Amino acid sequence: MSALTLTLRSPPPRSMDLSTLLPERLAGLEAAQIGALPLRDGSSVADFFDVMDGDPKHLAIRNSNDRLTHVGAAMRSGTITVEGDCGAYAGLGLNGGHLEVTGNAGDFTGSGMKAGMIRISGNAGDFAGGALEGDRQGMRGGILAIQGDAGDRTGERMRRGLLLIGGNAGAYCAANMLAGTIFVAGQVGMMPGFSLKRGTLLLARMPENLPVTFQDSGEHALLFLTLLEKQLERDRQAFSRFLPFGKKVRRYCGDLAWGGTGEILIFC
Amino acid sequence: MILNGVAIDDTFAEAFGMRATRLLITALNIKWAYHAARAATGFATSVIGCGCEAGIERELSVEETPDGRPGLSVLLFAVSSKELAKQVERRVGQCVLTAPSSAVFAGLEGEAVNLGKNLRFFGDGFQMSKVIGGKRYWRIPVMDGEFLCEETTGMIKAVGGGNFLVLARGQTEALTACEAAIDAMSKLRGVIMPFPGGIVRSGSKVGSKYKALPASTNDAFCPTLRGAVKSELSPDTGAVLEIVIDGLTEADVRDAMRAGIDAVCKVGASGGVLRVSAGNYGGKLGQFHFKLHEIMR
Repeated sequence: MSALTLTLRSPPPRSMDLSTLLPERLAGLEAAQIGALPLRDGSSVADFFDVMDGDPKHLAIRNSNDRLTHVGAAMRSGTITVEGDCGAYAGLGLNGGHLEVTGNAGDFTGSGMKAGMIRISGNAGDFAGGALEGDRQGMRGGILAIQGDAGDRTGERMRRGLLLIGGNAGAYCAANMLAGTIFVAGQVGMMPGFSLKRGTLLLARMPENLPVTFQDSGEHALLFLTLLEKQLERDRQAFSRFLPFGKKVRRYCGDLAWGGTGEILIFC
Repeated sequence: MILNGVAIDDTFAEAFGMRATRLLITALNIKWAYHAARAATGFATSVIGCGCEAGIERELSVEETPDGRPGLSVLLFAVSSKELAKQVERRVGQCVLTAPSSAVFAGLEGEAVNLGKNLRFFGDGFQMSKVIGGKRYWRIPVMDGEFLCEETTGMIKAVGGGNFLVLARGQTEALTACEAAIDAMSKLRGVIMPFPGGIVRSGSKVGSKYKALPASTNDAFCPTLRGAVKSELSPDTGAVLEIVIDGLTEADVRDAMRAGIDAVCKVGASGGVLRVSAGNYGGKLGQFHFKLHEIMR
């Protein structure tokens, strides 16, 4: 059965919050009923989308645009495929299921997500997997995989989960990180791991500068990386950008200004 | 029933419900996995005095282990969930954590029993948790790098105390037959034979003339007491050895008993084996009864 499809007719005049359109909420509704559903700004789905019946467990949003925000926010199950770009807050607080974006995503992608998986084929904006203003924790579980680049403060205050960046990450990557794992296959910007408390920032390449509050612990073969590599290998197609892992990493412990129980690992 | 000249008694082995878990112990090479596994399953022949019964189930190939290194699976059995949890923590903490290059993972799914959950505190605050594939692991810094262990392992209901007795003309004949049985049974999964080399010579009966002892020697099967007690042994029986089996399921124990008795019977009367019997308590204590004739039919 093909996916339940919403096709955007033309770019909306302003940003449009799609957090109400989730597979679990659309189950059992006919196309006409879905079209009549209100959006947060008071308009209805049919004002902007053509609705085509299909399997409600798989929602496809076609002809997407970066003005569509909060796509898949708080989703618990099912799959949302966004064909094109999407705006900020994609997968905000995701609690299960799978969000796939074929284009780019905006700021705060996967912020506060607790479970499930988000895959962005293009780039993501700032604060990917990070915390909203005022929130104490960013991403809290699940997998956020960005094939392209990520903006500044990626994984800020991240608490748990796996954040994968296939390209480069901006400044302050893993800043204030509490726990979890971030893997950047490209280059990171200035001050990676700034005030890192716990958790792992795994880098494929040596950054131009490391904060002085990270100290070299030497080269090590860490067993948990084998487990992580094996986990990614189970879906080799999705994670080929990050495989294979090197045998050894150089470990920098830090941020020593914050206890030094976190680490930046750089493949040798 | 007579198989290859060996009489199979019309009796049954009486076994008990236990709690069990499986651990996967890996290391840099199989030698060090054995060091860790043997230490962790040492002094674990009987719940009466050891707290648990444990043994190495089998070797694991690098494809079978979570970390892609050589390893062993071990099984631990105890009479209660609480005791099993205590034994797992002590044995892993003292024998696996301490073994160079080792790591330990859960080998069963079931009710959670702490594995690395408390051992992590050995890291003195430098331990790190990693959730990978939905499972939590602990990285504990140690002097050769890191000790990696899964947070919990699974506990299931299992069967302990399956057994059979091999009655032979002499000690050598009994031991040879039992060794053949252990060789055959060791190929099976889900079972361990917890006594030294899988074989026990000191079968016991319930009770003793000494009030402090809950169990004492099985005098009816002691050849040197023939004539002094109501013996179960014929005049030509010179030695009796027992194989005790703990299994994850009733079927596992049954299969192991069949494989073991089959191997004993292959040694046969020409090899000095006279009878195969089994230990029970009249059927009143254990919830599992393994009837020899049914198993060997």
